[in-house]
Amino acid sequence: MIIEQRRFIMGKKGLVVLVLFLCMGLLLIGCPKKTVVKEEPSVKKAEEPVTEREKAAAAEKEAREKELARIREEEAKRAKEKEFEKSLVAKKEPGIEGEVFESRLLKDINFDFDKYDIRPKDAEILKENAALLSKYPKVKIQIEGHCDERGTNEYNLALGERRANAAKKYLVSVGIATDRISIISYGEEKPLDPGHNEEAWAKNRRDHFVILSK
Amino acid sequence: MKKYFFLPFLLLWVVNTPAEARVYLDINAPTFVQIPIVLPKWKTVNKTPPTMTAKVYDILSNDLTLAGFFKVIDHSRFPSLLKEKEGIPNSNALQEWTTVGGEILLVGEALLNSNSNLILKFHLFDLVEQKHLVGKQYEGPPQLLRKMVHRIADEVVLQLTGERGVLNTKIAFVSLQGGGKEISVSDFDGSEARLLTQNQSLNLSPTWTPDGKKIVFTSYLRRNPDLYLIDADGQNFRRLTSYPGLNAAPAWSPDGKKMALMMGMEGKSDIYLIDANGNNPKKLTTGHGNEASPTWSPDGKRIAFVSDRSGSPQIYTMGSDGSDVRRLTFEGSYNSKPSWSPKGDRIAYCGRVEGRYEIFTIGVDGSALQRVTSNSGSNESPCWSPDGRYIAFSSNRLGGSKVFIMNANGFNQRPLTSAKGGESSPAWSRQLE
Repeated sequence: MIIEQRRFIMGKKGLVVLVLFLCMGLLLIGCPKKTVVKEEPSVKKAEEPVTEREKAAAAEKEAREKELARIREEEAKRAKEKEFEKSLVAKKEPGIEGEVFESRLLKDINFDFDKYDIRPKDAEILKENAALLSKYPKVKIQIEGHCDERGTNEYNLALGERRANAAKKYLVSVGIATDRISIISYGEEKPLDPGHNEEAWAKNRRDHFVILSK
Repeated sequence: MKKYFFLPFLLLWVVNTPAEARVYLDINAPTFVQIPIVLPKWKTVNKTPPTMTAKVYDILSNDLTLAGFFKVIDHSRFPSLLKEKEGIPNSNALQEWTTVGGEILLVGEALLNSNSNLILKFHLFDLVEQKHLVGKQYEGPPQLLRKMVHRIADEVVLQLTGERGVLNTKIAFVSLQGGGKEISVSDFDGSEARLLTQNQSLNLSPTWTPDGKKIVFTSYLRRNPDLYLIDADGQNFRRLTSYPGLNAAPAWSPDGKKMALMMGMEGKSDIYLIDANGNNPKKLTTGHGNEASPTWSPDGKRIAFVSDRSGSPQIYTMGSDGSDVRRLTFEGSYNSKPSWSPKGDRIAYCGRVEGRYEIFTIGVDGSALQRVTSNSGSNESPCWSPDGRYIAFSSNRLGGSKVFIMNANGFNQRPLTSAKGGESSPAWSRQLE
């Protein structure tokens, strides 16, 4: 019983395979013919006019892209210019004459305790500040020298003067005109952080840059 | 200031028992025991308001305590010995006071007379030797009550120590007010404090003119540390110098003709001399160091200052023409803010010890270094009283910075002001009239 059933199944399978072959034969004979015949003329006919149009379109596209790039570049440039202008924050201090501007793009530098030499990483910051100042030759700045609260107020005034002047000398050495930079020492009188610990002190030993005129 | 401020009050009479003047207290001794002085309540005569008498008593008691030489024994018992015979009190009544425990007795009375003038009368007795030392009577408008009491306290100090006290002096200092620092002045006892500036700026390093009438200081009003001058009563505020850079830490020469100060005309701080009107700057220091905080010797011949020319801030002295520079301090790696004593023999300064700042004094030849504050907050900015017996300084030992005074040897340190804190940079006036 089991063997007979198998034969029957095998017989059925054989039939299906045969039918499939026949179908495939028909496809192989008929279909390729049709497609080759149809496709060849269509490609050849379209070739000439498309090239003309595409050339024009490509040229146009290229011009458009160039223009876009130029606009983008200009916008970026303007944005960057605006970034500096936008970064300017007016600062008016009670009891001190005049208004100045601060910019986050002009970065503070810091100092070791009782020292006024520019450390290498702060020299990098000064270079960035100098690059910015080179782009805006009208800008005049004031460098504020600050100290932490330790030590006497008067000696810290001397130290702050020296710190501000150290940064000025550096900026002049990389090409910023000396008459664009003034200095002022606030000693320990204007701490950035009011704390009484090393963290606060490290922040307070700084040169801060303000813009006197833009 | 009120117009009668400058009107002197009168010394009406003096009773000085003729005897060899005896100094009860050698305040220059390295240690001394405070003299116990009995201070009974003052007597109110006629229709004088009792509150006025009480005020006299309180100011006097506080003055004598602040003077640092006395242990004041308050006594509520009324003095019965002012029954004078020809101005001299009856010393027989002294016996009853010897049991109180004092060596000196100070009694007095207050009287408002028919001219509405206040009359203050006092007598000083030696209880050990049972004798009268001095008696004086002052008359003046009641508005001068405090000044009159200070004069009495000064007289007591003179009688018992051989030198007039400094109770009629004033102290200028920097006072933190909101975000600004203002110049303030108070009496020696911390009373009568008033702001001379109210400009919200940074006003720093007040110094008195030698005549005690004006104060010079640095202010950032015009976005530069410039020098300004103001009368001690707050009048006539005016700018004195505005050289580019620092115009800071002014110090008048004793003759009042010149000023030494820190100036930054060359991009770093140097010591300069200028005329009293701010002209003719002359640079005194040379070299590459930071120079700060000049202070004159009382004879005007030398100037002490700070310099970091050796690599760390140290005290130096030089001739007032910049010649003959000598290094004074060698101990420690941070010595700053010198103040030359009015007697000329010592210089007080601020030095760093184990991260803290302490007050030191040193002989002008570098000998006899003495540390006068110890392990109590950070102490800065010493300045001498005009008699050289006290030093005022600022300390944060109670939290915020306050002005303290102490005897020059470090004894009896106490805060001067009852203010909230934020006071610094004291400067002591001369003895005022």
